[in-house]
Amino acid sequence: MLWNVLRGERMKLRRSPVWLAFLILPVLPAFMGTFNYLQNIEILEDGWYSLWTQHTLFTCYFFLPATIAVYCSYLFRLEHTNHNWNRVMTLPVPELHLYLAKLITASAMVVLTQIWVGILFILSGILSGLSDPVPPELFEWLLFGTMGGVVICSVQLLLSLIIRSFAVPVGIAIAGGILGIAALSKGLGAFYPYTLLSLGMRANSPGGPMACSKEQFLAGCLFYLAASTAVAFIWLRKKDVVSV
Amino acid sequence: MKEICLEFYKIRRRKIWVTIVALLGIQCLWALWAFRDMNAKELSQGYMQCLYHFSVFNTILMPMIAAITASRICDLEHKGQTFKLLLTTMPAGILFDAKFICASLYMAAAGAAQTLFIIILGKTAGFTEPFPPGYLVYYLITTVTVTITILALQQVVSILFSNQMIPLIVGITGSFAGLFSLFLPPGIQKGILWSYYGVLTPVKMNWDFQTKIADLQYIPVDWSGFLLLLGLLAAIYLTGRWCFTRKER
Repeated sequence: MLWNVLRGERMKLRRSPVWLAFLILPVLPAFMGTFNYLQNIEILEDGWYSLWTQHTLFTCYFFLPATIAVYCSYLFRLEHTNHNWNRVMTLPVPELHLYLAKLITASAMVVLTQIWVGILFILSGILSGLSDPVPPELFEWLLFGTMGGVVICSVQLLLSLIIRSFAVPVGIAIAGGILGIAALSKGLGAFYPYTLLSLGMRANSPGGPMACSKEQFLAGCLFYLAASTAVAFIWLRKKDVVSV
Repeated sequence: MKEICLEFYKIRRRKIWVTIVALLGIQCLWALWAFRDMNAKELSQGYMQCLYHFSVFNTILMPMIAAITASRICDLEHKGQTFKLLLTTMPAGILFDAKFICASLYMAAAGAAQTLFIIILGKTAGFTEPFPPGYLVYYLITTVTVTITILALQQVVSILFSNQMIPLIVGITGSFAGLFSLFLPPGIQKGILWSYYGVLTPVKMNWDFQTKIADLQYIPVDWSGFLLLLGLLAAIYLTGRWCFTRKER
């Protein structure tokens, strides 16, 4: 059944330009971050690691959470319009599958974005004339970043399920990203969903270890994934639909 | 006037102000955190510190506030499919104007709230720098003008496309470009609409690389930049209004 719901999600997204946002957005920090790196090469002495901070710092805190939020709002847009909740809730589909199909669809986009970020990073490094080999940690940064991104997807999907407005969940993601800086500075990054992305990608300390242990990071990811899925399931099962 | 009142009537239960107040609240919390434990030198440059840092905060947050406000004001017509009905009672251009004025009033209130916050912060934190009313008024005017120009662009995109993903992505990308452009030369900054919070800021930071000490100073008002911004506002607004009036629904 989940496979069929996933196919339905794919059909809803057919010919939609959503992928363009994820294609274009990482190009901006790659281009401007590389430009800034080349302008300040005498201060930024750590080669690939310095370039990585230029590419990811602002992206992880502010812009990727907001872009994921836009995508999640878009995934629920169709259900929130034209009385579609009435149709969706009368389909012989388990409530959990409705949420999981959207979570898998959003997560797939996060995976593709992370691969694209990695490709752009390597290309920028080569074009900047970095002669050292690509950092071996790159795969780990992207993998943990993907996990953090999936957590943001789960939280944002829950918000977009509950809030019918398209823009309000995006506002919450921006606020969440900014408050994440405070959470990180207080050492609470692993306990706050919007900082898991920057923690996982080592946005401000690519050369060293993560600001928390890997176990803490994974526990934080699992907790928010499970909590969001459980709340979404209960909401879909118990709450009567509001159709406009 | 009747059309503007109608816009406020349509959004009376949408609580649009809540998102704006929440994001402004976060901006103020951020400022309180950034300006905690100020030393004597920082207090002697207190208002300059505020004006400089608020310009950076605004580059990140105000484009998003403008994008969200414009999207919410326009999306209600897309969701309700009310454009055809509305255009039997008023010309399309007037509807466009009314929405813009309605959203602009929110932006002006946000700018005024920020300026008020800076004044209150200055009094309570005990800034020793003499109170600069002229620079605060200039900050208010430039902040509101830049935000309204971005709002005009966001409204054009929000009203022309029923898919609200497009205007919000424009907002995020613009905010991103604005933030990065703060590190770029002034000539390039003037080519990016979202970087005008930085272009028109009345305070400049002098960073001494040897001593690693940052010093702030007031700089002359960039009137050429401001005039360029007004030209951009007129161009975006008139082009957008023209496109909207000619769009088939």
